[in-house]
Amino acid sequence: MNPASQPSFGKGVKLRYDLDGGVMLLVPEGALVLNAPAAAALALVDGERTFAAIVEAVVAEFEVAPERASEDLGTLFERLEERGFLR
Amino acid sequence: MTPRPLSLLCEVTYRCNLQCPYCYNPVALQRYRDELTTQEWCRVLSEAAELGVVQAHFSGGEPTLRRDLVDLVRAASQVGLYANLITQGTFLDDELLDTLLTAGLDHVQISIQAPQAPLADRIAGTVVHEKKLDALRRVGERDVALTLNCVLHRRNHDSIDEVIALAEGLGITRLELANVQFYGWAYRNREALMPTLKQVRHGETVVAAARERLRGRMEIVYVLPDYFGEFPKPCMSGWGNEFLTVTPNGDVLPCPAAAAITDLRFENVRERPLAQIWSESGAFARFRGTEWMPQPCRSCERRELDWGGCRCQAFLLTGNAGATDPACSRSPDHSVVVALRENRGEVEPVPRRV
Repeated sequence: MNPASQPSFGKGVKLRYDLDGGVMLLVPEGALVLNAPAAAALALVDGERTFAAIVEAVVAEFEVAPERASEDLGTLFERLEERGFLR
Repeated sequence: MTPRPLSLLCEVTYRCNLQCPYCYNPVALQRYRDELTTQEWCRVLSEAAELGVVQAHFSGGEPTLRRDLVDLVRAASQVGLYANLITQGTFLDDELLDTLLTAGLDHVQISIQAPQAPLADRIAGTVVHEKKLDALRRVGERDVALTLNCVLHRRNHDSIDEVIALAEGLGITRLELANVQFYGWAYRNREALMPTLKQVRHGETVVAAARERLRGRMEIVYVLPDYFGEFPKPCMSGWGNEFLTVTPNGDVLPCPAAAAITDLRFENVRERPLAQIWSESGAFARFRGTEWMPQPCRSCERRELDWGGCRCQAFLLTGNAGATDPACSRSPDHSVVVALRENRGEVEPVPRRV
């Protein structure tokens, strides 16, 4: 994913927080369970923040190398984009 | 430990103004006329949310025939459930749609019977195709997710390319091409609806090519045909594992087709809270997990992928809901499925009636 792109959620896509701390991405006719870094990244998706800024925030919050975070989140975001959950 | 249900199918009514012969609703519908009230449905939704459910799917029959559908969507939304409407779209005018969206509706699935009016209307048993296209356009213009669904069977399977073209023309981003599942009316009409092997193979080729061509623009969900695979579908991701269905009269089923299993007793939300039914009812416990499995499932490396296939199908085809799904090529009863898929008749299907 391009560092300058500003992802936003597709129609009918939203984050859901459970009382037990679990986070899911609810999508048309399905739910994806998210791990903590993925949940933190998607919580920052607002159509304005750039992908680079989102990666930076996740790196600051979790003990993870910037290259690794960029690669993992890039894969996740592209997969979600392909299915129309991010745009 | 009892698993956590994620998804609740609310079959709010079995009434419908269409007569599609592929409907999976039960053939004997009289038992379901005493529908749950608004208040009872609201209680079910809030109990479901407490139980961990995250999505409510409003279906039927035709759910928009319930005058209180907007109240039910609002109730779902208020308890934090993702609200999904599964409709044939003929009553979805501007006013109803906007009220539903204000109430918190997240997603609409609209079905068509075929890509062109004459065939679509013939399958539906009434003139509705143009109305459906209007509804699709109306939903597409609004801020809500939309899926176009078409159930495929022998009478429309050859139009699969045109269904995809229609979806493209309408700007659809999610298309569900669902081969008919043989339950309820569809099971009764299986001889008239069974696709040919040639149609099934053609469908696979068309879908693979369209997925490649439309990557990133349209997601195509392809529901495989019931009787043509090597392995059975992992029905409901396992019995009593993620899914709950509540029928119009309040029966709680692990699968929308489960009422066909006449030797299980399903409990009703009018008599017991949903959470107790989910965790304690014998019908849910009966096929949960892998302990119940016979051979060849028990020692099969796919037992937690397929979950033994579909219990309802096992019952319909062998009389034993605890048998390996005959759709599996390893089932001792697989010859039944082979015979059924060859058994295509030039018979007219029986239109679904209420």
